[in-house]
Amino acid sequence: MKSKIILIVALVVFMILAGMPLYQQRNFEEKIITGDSVVDVFKLSKYFEPLEGTVQDTNVYELKGEEPGGKVLIIAGTHENEPSAMTFAFFMVENMKVDKGTIYIIPHFNRSGSLGTQAGGGFPLYYDIDTEWGEKVFRFGDRGLQPLDQWPDPDVYVHYPEGQLLSYIDSRNTNRTWPGKANGTLAEQTTYAAMQMIEDEDIDIVIDLHEAETMYPVTNCIVVPEKSKPYAIGTSLFVKGREGFENHVEPSPTGYRGLSHREIGDYSDAYPFLFESPGAHLDQITAGKTVDLIVSGIDPFIMEAEKKGLLFVPYDENGFSMDRRVGQHSSVFQELMSQWSKKNKDKEVIVEVPKYADIVENGLGYYFKNPDEVDEDLVYIE
Amino acid sequence: MDAGLIYTQTILAGVAMIAAYIVGKIFKLKTEICLLLTVIAGGLVGGAGLDLFRHMAEGSATFLDIALIFVFATLFMNILKESGGINFLVKKIISGFHNKKILLLILLMIIILIPGALTGAGSISVLVVGGTVAAALNAMGLTKKRTAAIIFIVAGLSAACPPVNVWAMMTCAGTAIPYVGFTFPLLIPVLITGLFTVLFLGRGAKNIDKEAALSEIESPKDYKSYKIILPFVLLIALLMASRIWPFDFPVLGLPLVFAICAFFAWILDAKAVNIVKITKKTVEDLTPLVATTIVVGMLLQIMSMNGTRGLISMLIVTAPVAVIFIMIPFVIPISEGVLTYGGAMVFGIPLIWMFNSMGLNPVIILAGLSLMWPLGDALPPTALIGRLTVSTAGYEGKYSSFLKECIVPWVVITVVGMIMVLFSNQLSFLMFTN
Repeated sequence: MKSKIILIVALVVFMILAGMPLYQQRNFEEKIITGDSVVDVFKLSKYFEPLEGTVQDTNVYELKGEEPGGKVLIIAGTHENEPSAMTFAFFMVENMKVDKGTIYIIPHFNRSGSLGTQAGGGFPLYYDIDTEWGEKVFRFGDRGLQPLDQWPDPDVYVHYPEGQLLSYIDSRNTNRTWPGKANGTLAEQTTYAAMQMIEDEDIDIVIDLHEAETMYPVTNCIVVPEKSKPYAIGTSLFVKGREGFENHVEPSPTGYRGLSHREIGDYSDAYPFLFESPGAHLDQITAGKTVDLIVSGIDPFIMEAEKKGLLFVPYDENGFSMDRRVGQHSSVFQELMSQWSKKNKDKEVIVEVPKYADIVENGLGYYFKNPDEVDEDLVYIE
Repeated sequence: MDAGLIYTQTILAGVAMIAAYIVGKIFKLKTEICLLLTVIAGGLVGGAGLDLFRHMAEGSATFLDIALIFVFATLFMNILKESGGINFLVKKIISGFHNKKILLLILLMIIILIPGALTGAGSISVLVVGGTVAAALNAMGLTKKRTAAIIFIVAGLSAACPPVNVWAMMTCAGTAIPYVGFTFPLLIPVLITGLFTVLFLGRGAKNIDKEAALSEIESPKDYKSYKIILPFVLLIALLMASRIWPFDFPVLGLPLVFAICAFFAWILDAKAVNIVKITKKTVEDLTPLVATTIVVGMLLQIMSMNGTRGLISMLIVTAPVAVIFIMIPFVIPISEGVLTYGGAMVFGIPLIWMFNSMGLNPVIILAGLSLMWPLGDALPPTALIGRLTVSTAGYEGKYSSFLKECIVPWVVITVVGMIMVLFSNQLSFLMFTN
């Protein structure tokens, strides 16, 4: 009896010590400061009511220029373990000035995924960016929705509506559930809501932000279906010439279903683009999964793989920092707007926001204001 | 942080983990406890501090579904066993095929293949049909050791068999390769090696002396066949429904599917089955297995956290290609033995990327690797399905003897898998695509 009591007490203590950090992360509030171009902040459920009140009912930031023009939807946080997407979204909401056109930004598309990390992944619960006023802290999340929010998994995920068999893990992956399903799973409902938004708002361009492993061929690139290809090729060529970094174009495979760059192109009039920047922390062959690895992108084991020619990105002892990854996203995005605007004068999109060179020089943290020192009406919780 | 320091810290964490496991073994602690000590040592030396508890909790959920499947599938089978249904089924099989031993062996192979092929879990084959098949094989004069070997190898093949191959699916998910084109590259070698296994290990099997065999198997006299048929019909219906109507049928998940079937089986024979007793016994019997599943998830988490997982993967993928090919037959099963499905993530993903970049056919290679992964389910420290199989087959001898019995089919499966890895481009025709 005595040993049973001791065991129960030990179990309770363990549950408290283990559960508290997870509970705190799930309830951690990231603060985002809206910049001058933000005209409205609303929920994704505006386009699909059943999403209202769910964990996936995420914030949408609308940035509008003084002149009408093209409409762009930027989706970050499809995979919440690819942090340069989210930090880029925060950076854009806070700093981007839109002169012409409308830009919608979703910082945490898979909000559920941001509320916990991947079981078995060994990642930290948070990462932070150094700023002049201290550390700006973000939640580090998971690739898919948390099982707490969508469970059980099927034994195999059958993609809707194409019927392709995918891994059961992909049933919670919002980059496998496009174009979504109104009465489907929460992940399918999330992508369905976004498809409704694309249709209702007449979105011209959809940009889905990601990071990929350095050992993965589809990294440091723009993934596009055939119809988006001319814009992507122009963008790739010009960023190389003007900014000095590689960002090649990858075709969206027609036989691989559920991905944003495939289904948005096939099921709407919008032009989809998926940006990949190299996230070294995602590789299987890294040293410990630390905050430093996530932010600096420096890893000695990856350097060994580089020596053997196993990587698909230029990699040296300086790694691939968050500043570089966000900087790349920023420059690629702006060049894409430029390419688009050249060919679609009636739907021009003109924006102003720091590019790669500035972000790398100043550091990403330079562009984040202290939420405690700005008008509280400008601060939103993510 | 300095690269040298990172290497030192990672190696130290690895050494501490190995040392903790050895100490546990010296003190003759159970495998699960030894693994738990390994986790704690890896976490503390890896610098987790108080976050160790969070990592343990998070890691413990990695294979939660698999643990739940073990519990409910075993409960389902134990209810049928308790009601006399399994013995009834064995009697029927013996009556129908007692004088057609080759046909019976092949039939039994197909029976084992189906549950694992549908669910991607060899354990389901063992749990659902292992007992029945074991009884039939014993009646054919095969020893319990050989019976266990047949069930283990074919159950492993069932997990590799299409349509659901979890190793291939997890690797596909991690490498963004679509899970298409795998049907024949998986099915053909599974059938070839499966047939070899049952015919080789089934050598010496005799036609069954029907009367003698039937008289030795007890089953309730008034047992009605619907009591065992209907629960299996329900199981197959629930498994198939999610494929036939994937967009309309609710996602139940395998644990709930088995729970529903267990409940249904009990309702059909509620008087004969003491559900509380059976449930308690099932949970007691499965505690070591479930504990292993949970602690392996923790191990995977801690090895990622402290970098030992990355170090091992890096050493493998940066080795010369010839060395990689030589290591595959050992590394793949061992990774399964240590990390269960985690081996596909740790080794499968970087290996497939590497081979893909060499211009080799990733689908054929992955199919080849998928044949070898399930072999590791018999290997320590976890030996998940090996342990489950020997217990289901009622084999009480040395575990190492059971492993020896598996050697010949093991080697044949490895050779077939390696041929697929080495000659992936030449074998591309197996995909039957233009």
